[in-house]
Amino acid sequence: MYMNEPCSTTNPIKNLHKFAMKTDTERAAQDEGPPPPPPPLFGDILELTLTRVPLVDLVSASQVSRSWKRAVSSSLRHLNPIRPWLLVHSQSTRTPYAISTRAFDPRSSVWLDISLPQPAKHASTLRSSSSSNLLFILSPSKLSFSSDPLHLTWRHAAPPLVWRADPIVALVGHRLVVAGGAFDFDDDPLAVETYDLRAGAWEACGSTMPALLKDSSASAWLSVTADEDKMYVTDKLSGVTHSYDPEADAWHGPYDLRPHRDVYCCVIGFASGRLILVGLLGCEENVKGVKAWEVERGTWRAREIGEMPPGMVRKMKGERFCASSMSACGAGDFVYLNRDSDPGTAVWCEVVGGGDCRWGRAESPAASGGRGPAERVVFTSSNVGMSELKQALATGDPRNVIRST
Amino acid sequence: MRYLALPLLSQNLTESTARAQTLSLYLQLSLQVSLSQRNESTMSSSSSSLPSCPKKVVTLKSSEGETFEIEEIAALQSKTLENMIDENCADTPIPLPNIKGKILAKVVEYCNKHAEVGVDAESLRAWDAEFVNVENTTVFDYILAANFLEIPTLLDLTCQSVADMIKGKTPAEIEKTFNIKSAFTPEEEEQVRRENQWAFE
Repeated sequence: MYMNEPCSTTNPIKNLHKFAMKTDTERAAQDEGPPPPPPPLFGDILELTLTRVPLVDLVSASQVSRSWKRAVSSSLRHLNPIRPWLLVHSQSTRTPYAISTRAFDPRSSVWLDISLPQPAKHASTLRSSSSSNLLFILSPSKLSFSSDPLHLTWRHAAPPLVWRADPIVALVGHRLVVAGGAFDFDDDPLAVETYDLRAGAWEACGSTMPALLKDSSASAWLSVTADEDKMYVTDKLSGVTHSYDPEADAWHGPYDLRPHRDVYCCVIGFASGRLILVGLLGCEENVKGVKAWEVERGTWRAREIGEMPPGMVRKMKGERFCASSMSACGAGDFVYLNRDSDPGTAVWCEVVGGGDCRWGRAESPAASGGRGPAERVVFTSSNVGMSELKQALATGDPRNVIRST
Repeated sequence: MRYLALPLLSQNLTESTARAQTLSLYLQLSLQVSLSQRNESTMSSSSSSLPSCPKKVVTLKSSEGETFEIEEIAALQSKTLENMIDENCADTPIPLPNIKGKILAKVVEYCNKHAEVGVDAESLRAWDAEFVNVENTTVFDYILAANFLEIPTLLDLTCQSVADMIKGKTPAEIEKTFNIKSAFTPEEEEQVRRENQWAFE
């Protein structure tokens, strides 16, 4: 065909033109009826187009053909990478206490409704711990928890030896730490218990929990986070922080992390391997600013890494930001700042490069964003990738499992 | 000779404004001198003090040989054309053998629209939405043209429109929409790409 034709260097364009014409005629000769097919999308144009396709649709796109699969993974790796999702779980306070989940994907700025398997009929409240994306339900008869990115699998364990209401719970490495909470008796020696995921059994810990943390309702007044080795607990109002090492069964602290006297609420989370403290300045009714600090774990010094742009702070005007309703959850490079009374807004601080940060805000479409009157809301965040999405979509009719709002 | 309007030079002028005014004065002076040298006998009584500069136009040639004219200012939206204009290659018609005439006409229309001043963002968005409200095959042609001519705004617009086509579809539906099993075998596809690259090096 065209390969045998002399392609002279003086007129390459003329020959290209001939080639285009030839295949058109060839095609026309083969099938007279239907119009010629559109030029195929391939290579860098396909990759560029895929950057604008939400992650959940990339799952279908990657199953179209081998070249599309390559284009999807290349586009995700180089052009528009995966960013951590914010998952908002609302639990109805009436039977059957159903949990519905909405997710925000910052990569494409889309909000999604996700139908996830229910952990089981639970009259107890769903809670989350900002450490490693943990969702748990604690009842007198059992402890159910899930820490995978989309909470597709739940594990059930026997309850801790001492019943407690609203304790500090965190997943530290392969141990689930349960500490504090409200007791029936004062000074219970079993204030801290850990559940070893590998052994599937509870261990009582002999360490003395700091008096400051006893008897406090964790979800309201404490901000909890953890990395692979330690759990960190910060009092939201005072900024006083303690850390607990389950391996050594030792508490450390107190450290006063409040970086500025104007900060009335501190929440902590891990992003990019760093301990980040987000502080709200001003007062509950009138937030003047939001800043982020990186806390150096050896010296416990806080270094300011960024401040929320004034335009975004202005959007917070006229609303109440009570310390008891604020929480943070971190995954990847993101720390999401959440408020219980407003589950339809995602606010985040993305740690970039050498300790700088970028702030973002997204509001879900008006109709579906608000919290129902009889609902309790908790937040988690995680790096949701293609494999987790494929798994989720396989649990039911793909069109119903994950829907954009 | 007409009297030139002298700009007021006050002490409050910044240095750059002063320079700009001096330059403008010089240009006016030199233009007037050349005009009077040419038309000494006939004194034109036109109201404008400056002759209007002819708008620079770039000619583009489609794959079928049709030519299209586009004002230089609109052509600057295309990085490819901008480079050619900078290197003074834009004086002869520029051949674009992989862009068909009807597509090129629309691309020129797009560039002209986006080069207009004083268009509000809302109506421009609406115009853009109408622009891509066409057959899939045409949108793909727009993408290829925008990619070759390096027009970032058009590329964004068309890629978004194609991304919207991919959203919410099963793999089978995507195959149908994009006609993945086309007449090109993988080898032919490769050859076309290689040929394209070599021809435009």
